[in-house]
Amino acid sequence: MTTHLGVMILFAACVAIVFGTLLRDTPHDELRLAVRIFGGLVAGAYLVGWIMYITL
Amino acid sequence: MSRSSRTVVRVEKATPSTVVPRANPVLVGVVAWCLPGAGHLLMGHLRKAVTFFAVLIAMFAIGLAFGGRLFPFQLGEPLVFLAAIAQWTLAVPRVIAAMAGLGAGNVIAVTYEYGNTFLIVSGLLNALVLLDAVDLATGRKAR
Repeated sequence: MTTHLGVMILFAACVAIVFGTLLRDTPHDELRLAVRIFGGLVAGAYLVGWIMYITL
Repeated sequence: MSRSSRTVVRVEKATPSTVVPRANPVLVGVVAWCLPGAGHLLMGHLRKAVTFFAVLIAMFAIGLAFGGRLFPFQLGEPLVFLAAIAQWTLAVPRVIAAMAGLGAGNVIAVTYEYGNTFLIVSGLLNALVLLDAVDLATGRKAR
């Protein structure tokens, strides 16, 4: 897995799991937060990527 | 209202001096620095400890597999120095990797910068995990 997207998804998943576990106390809440952080990171990276592609 | 019917409510504010430590914060901090999740394990949070250990060790291993570099302390290169501090926040994996001859850094690899990112961020995340474990030990954080 050496594509930009693949590595970014792997990185986002790891960071989201750690922050979700760190900031919530029940497994359900941890999972919900981790999914939200993961979605935010991936969507944000996608958005920034497109903005850079269009503007630069 | 008569004087006898008044209800006096005394509100006591929690101050750092009234917080009861649950474990030795220094010991928790040291073990959390050595191995990710060890501090939470010491505090009885087994599930969190396993999660932190698995994810942070996986990130560190992925960083090495991607050809990332274990940075030395070079005061002349501020960014390298800061990266070294971040990587040393995962003490035992950093020492084992160095002793095994890993982390030389494959500069021409496509994934070199990704590897560095994984190595550095795994250390920085362990710094947050360490602080969380110390907060649990001092009683600043509930549960």
